[in-house]
Amino acid sequence: MRPIFRVARATFHEAWRRRFLNGILVFAILIIGSSWVFAYLQPGAELQMVIDIGLGSIRFFGMLIAVFLGTRLIPDEIERRTIHTILAKPVSRAQFVFGKFLGGAGTVAANLLLMGIAFYIVFAIKAPQLQAQKPEDALIFAAMYSNIAKAILLSFFEIFLVLGIAVVASTLFSWVLSVIFTFVIYFVGQMSDFFQQLADPERGASKAAQILLGTIYRILPHFEIFDIREAILQGTYTPWTTILRIIGQGVAYLVVVLLIGYLVFNEREV
Amino acid sequence: MVGADWPAATGRCFAISLAIKTENLSKIYSHDATGRPVGLVDLSLEVEEGQVFGLLGPNGSGKTTTLKLLLGLIFPTAGKGEIFGHPLGSNAYKERIGFLPEGPYFYEHLNGIELLSFYGSLFGMGGGRLAARVEELLHLVGMWDRRFIRVRDYSRGMRQRIGAAQAMINDPDLLFLDELTSGLDPIGAMEMHKLILELRDQGKTVFLCSHLLKDMEPLCDRVIILNRGQMCETGAVRDLLRVENQYRLAVSNFSDDLSRRLVALAQRTEPEEGLLAAYFADQNAALSAAQEASAAGAVIEELGTHHRTLEEVFIEAVGGEE
Repeated sequence: MRPIFRVARATFHEAWRRRFLNGILVFAILIIGSSWVFAYLQPGAELQMVIDIGLGSIRFFGMLIAVFLGTRLIPDEIERRTIHTILAKPVSRAQFVFGKFLGGAGTVAANLLLMGIAFYIVFAIKAPQLQAQKPEDALIFAAMYSNIAKAILLSFFEIFLVLGIAVVASTLFSWVLSVIFTFVIYFVGQMSDFFQQLADPERGASKAAQILLGTIYRILPHFEIFDIREAILQGTYTPWTTILRIIGQGVAYLVVVLLIGYLVFNEREV
Repeated sequence: MVGADWPAATGRCFAISLAIKTENLSKIYSHDATGRPVGLVDLSLEVEEGQVFGLLGPNGSGKTTTLKLLLGLIFPTAGKGEIFGHPLGSNAYKERIGFLPEGPYFYEHLNGIELLSFYGSLFGMGGGRLAARVEELLHLVGMWDRRFIRVRDYSRGMRQRIGAAQAMINDPDLLFLDELTSGLDPIGAMEMHKLILELRDQGKTVFLCSHLLKDMEPLCDRVIILNRGQMCETGAVRDLLRVENQYRLAVSNFSDDLSRRLVALAQRTEPEEGLLAAYFADQNAALSAAQEASAAGAVIEELGTHHRTLEEVFIEAVGGEE
């Protein structure tokens, strides 16, 4: 286990020196920080704007960081030949892949945490002002604080999954192709329910369409399950059991993805 | 442990431990226009523990491919190999080896201490033991005074020195060194040569890859010469350099008469920067020619058995293949 954490630590420290990641983080925090300004553009829906922009930015910029970091983690080691001295040491390929992922996940988590703190600060400033205008919604506002923390927590696991897919894609394809592949999986994965609806025989789907679309639905990661913005806005309390079930699904999918990554990388020449 | 029976001069047999053994190890990437395989073809070698073994060959001869196969970075298309009795690529032998790649690359943000500590930690080293080992190695490779400089600011020679240090962090029994002296100044190169000889004296096995034949000659016990992915010469260095029945006499301050006389007596003669070198098939003929030269007032600069240089062996082997 020790080599995994050593590789992860080195990856984490190196990743923080990637300027484009720092650039994305700064831009994301600027967008989140200025979300209260955008809120004035839609009178009556200020809170929705703040939450949409804040949580949306965390998920979108987190996804960008995961894709651009994940697709470079292993190829950079191969191109710079730093992998040669590492794999010549008692570090198995499985330990290397998991170490790289873990280091990347640490980097992504730190970025998400900073974005999450920025959003929470904006929300904590803005929410009391809006609550003062609607004292009857006190309970809804109270639920929002806990739901927002849960939404940020879910975005961690969503982005870890994107990172895992990006790392595995980079062991299979060229950089450009792995970036495109990960984006496609992410955006199509956001609409996985749509495939299930299309495959519904009651909607007139043919047998072949049912099999094809049903298979796509089963294979694709269901990224939309990580999005609980609707529940936040409605002030519906999202129980921890639901959150843990979603996290469990994400982790299970991630384990399978990383296992595929290991199997591919185990056969790869460096 | 892999062993091979080797009859000693006493007639007894005892086992010699092999650090490396390969049998018909091949890695064929493709075939050229003439249908000749590109890569490494049927390499069979045995490296005994405690030897300094040299892998020589021109560019594209398969040296790097051989190293990568031995380290498990790439996989053979045919044949097999073992290091300390473990199959190639296995993690089991990596505890006991060290590797310095050619033009080594490291994490740029680390300084010398952090870099060696990182590699040491991959062996499970830590605490005071690791710190002491790091300090010892930084002194050994002459980097102690520059230990806080980050890798990104290293010169080529500094990278080479820190590369040698990381290869030795685990006190390995077998060292793979690819172009060890590349980028080093003459003093640095001399220090590295001394280091290799010290490692040999400690019983370590050293597998050297280089094209600097003059460097390899005094260091290696055995060499293998590769050309176009195939072994074209192998053996103990002293055997490869020896020329059977060849004696050399070199004289200076010689007259034209003596020069003509030596041409008549010797198998062949060669002028060499103020000297005249004469080669004889018979030891007595060389001795009587030396006496004759001395009587004629010439100075005997050299008299003895003739040895080739490794460079001559290499050119002959590679040229023959070409």
